[in-house]
Amino acid sequence: MEWYQIMAVISAFLCITLLTAKLVNLIKLGLPKELSQPNGSVKEGIIYSFTGAMSPKAKESAYMHLPTYLGGIVYHIGTFVSLLLFPFILLLADKIERVPDMFLYITAAALTISSMAGAGIMVKRIVTDNLRYFSSADDYISNILTTAIQVVTALMLIDAVDPVLYYTTAALLFVWMPFGKTKHLLYFFFARVNLGYFYGRRGTWPPIKKN
Amino acid sequence: MVTQKIDIKKPLEILSRGDDSKLETNMNACVKCGLCAESCMYYLAFKEAQYVPGAKAELVSSIYRRYNTLAGKVAPALFNAKELNQEMAEKMVDMLFGACTMCGRCVKHCSIGVDIPYIVRKGREMLAAMNMVPATLQSTVDAALNTGNNMAIPQEEFIDTIKWMEEELIDEMEDVNARIPLDETDKSVFYTLNPREPKFFPLSISAIAKVFYAAKESWTISSKYYDVTNYGFFNGNNDQAAQIAGYLHDEIHKLRGKKLVLGECGHGSRATRWEGPGYLKKKFDFETITVVEVIASYIREGKITLDKSLNSSKVTIHDPCNLVRNGGLYSEIRFVVKSSVSDLQEMNPYGEDNFCCGGGGGALAMSEYNERRIKIGAIKAQQIAKSGAKVVITPCHNCVDQLQQLNHTYKLGVKIMTIAEIVADALVINKQ
Repeated sequence: MEWYQIMAVISAFLCITLLTAKLVNLIKLGLPKELSQPNGSVKEGIIYSFTGAMSPKAKESAYMHLPTYLGGIVYHIGTFVSLLLFPFILLLADKIERVPDMFLYITAAALTISSMAGAGIMVKRIVTDNLRYFSSADDYISNILTTAIQVVTALMLIDAVDPVLYYTTAALLFVWMPFGKTKHLLYFFFARVNLGYFYGRRGTWPPIKKN
Repeated sequence: MVTQKIDIKKPLEILSRGDDSKLETNMNACVKCGLCAESCMYYLAFKEAQYVPGAKAELVSSIYRRYNTLAGKVAPALFNAKELNQEMAEKMVDMLFGACTMCGRCVKHCSIGVDIPYIVRKGREMLAAMNMVPATLQSTVDAALNTGNNMAIPQEEFIDTIKWMEEELIDEMEDVNARIPLDETDKSVFYTLNPREPKFFPLSISAIAKVFYAAKESWTISSKYYDVTNYGFFNGNNDQAAQIAGYLHDEIHKLRGKKLVLGECGHGSRATRWEGPGYLKKKFDFETITVVEVIASYIREGKITLDKSLNSSKVTIHDPCNLVRNGGLYSEIRFVVKSSVSDLQEMNPYGEDNFCCGGGGGALAMSEYNERRIKIGAIKAQQIAKSGAKVVITPCHNCVDQLQQLNHTYKLGVKIMTIAEIVADALVINKQ
């Protein structure tokens, strides 16, 4: 392994360790200890929280902001694909020639599109007063790193980037992730569980179909 | 603004408590996408960035990061980790007390699911720990603590009002057994009121009394501890909220009531039913239920008979946030109203998506924010006007108050009624 690969692996290990520690802590803390008499199903509330409540039809943040919503979906898919490709690129770099070029180019093109979505979100943050008002350096850094990993992954797949740049970008993202807002990839799930618990217990979720 | 040294130990302890995963989750989950802006009536009314719900939550979570995270301690500038100082506390008072009704509309529409009112409530707890609750709101809490009801109505005055309403009921029913029982023991229903009822809307008491009479209910009201409201839910002082919740808890035991029936008050129902056991740190050993559900059960069980044609005007429903979005009563309210009126026109949006009337979160008690309260209420006023309804029904006396003011300010020309009132008007009673 080259020095830059070792650096990226150490960063990934650090990232996974810190996020796992947070995960374990959150599981240990558990759900709120409610003493009130329930009026609905917690289980059904939590299921709905991850399903119907996530539907674009159910959220103004989606149906009133479709370009941003769709951009966000594409951006998140690109992020997960990039993160999933990291171990493959690291461990199977010498076998990448066996993968059909077509597949590599399509994946690279898709990542290029998702990184453009990320860049678009960044531009929106810069030009929108409402967002600039409560944005911090972390919001920009997290966005830049998450967009950058998609760009360098795309380039790496088509052998168009120096591996030093790819692994350095990955290392920076991994180091930043447990501290910056990218850690919402963990907290998102707990937020949905807590919400489903709250609304499910009170009988608000799942909602009754309106006439 | 002069930055003074303030005692931050107690408020910071509130952000350090690891009771469950909710605090840590909500302090870390927001991605600051800003898409919650249009879900908040304060933002819609003022179009200023400070009113974006995420920005209000950020006030609290920025302090959380400063004192509870490694990143915030080491590089506060990078992570917007802010110190809690006088300037910050004053900003929190203005935004968390004066610009949020904790209606929770932003939560449902948040792309992540961050519980912003939970964060706002945490911020209010911090401010309460610093004795920075707006004086107007605190005086409402103090009245409840000192007298047993938030309007400080003397017991004698309350008894007189109830006796007066009872006489009216006897005359209307032509039955000396039509009663509003006070302080009676071993009754099935221990009923509670919003103090606005005896003070300003006594006819709503006679309306529910008429419903109980028709259903042949065994019920009573305490002459001392009848107040369903709990402004301790709003001022963020959990000890005071517990003391107020304790009044009803102890009184139902004293009178050996079977079922605590919560009068028409959104936050009071929430604070008693859902938050009360938490404040008192014990499960209630009696059933706690809203009057809407009780009336619905009367209709389902055939205990009361209603004639929709007696309410023929076009009506619409204003969904109290704490009863519908935060209380799960969407279908029960519709069932009762549809059983009582012949022409229901929903607002848009409605149900879980409803807009707050603007009077929630303690806003009605905080006169310093009256201008804001009336301005954000324009959204509700437009909804009402567009519905074309002549009557607005809402099972919440705080909402009634705000809607009355909106009715006057925006010249809506509608009648505001509670559920008990609309049901009482539709009652078919075979007089003995």
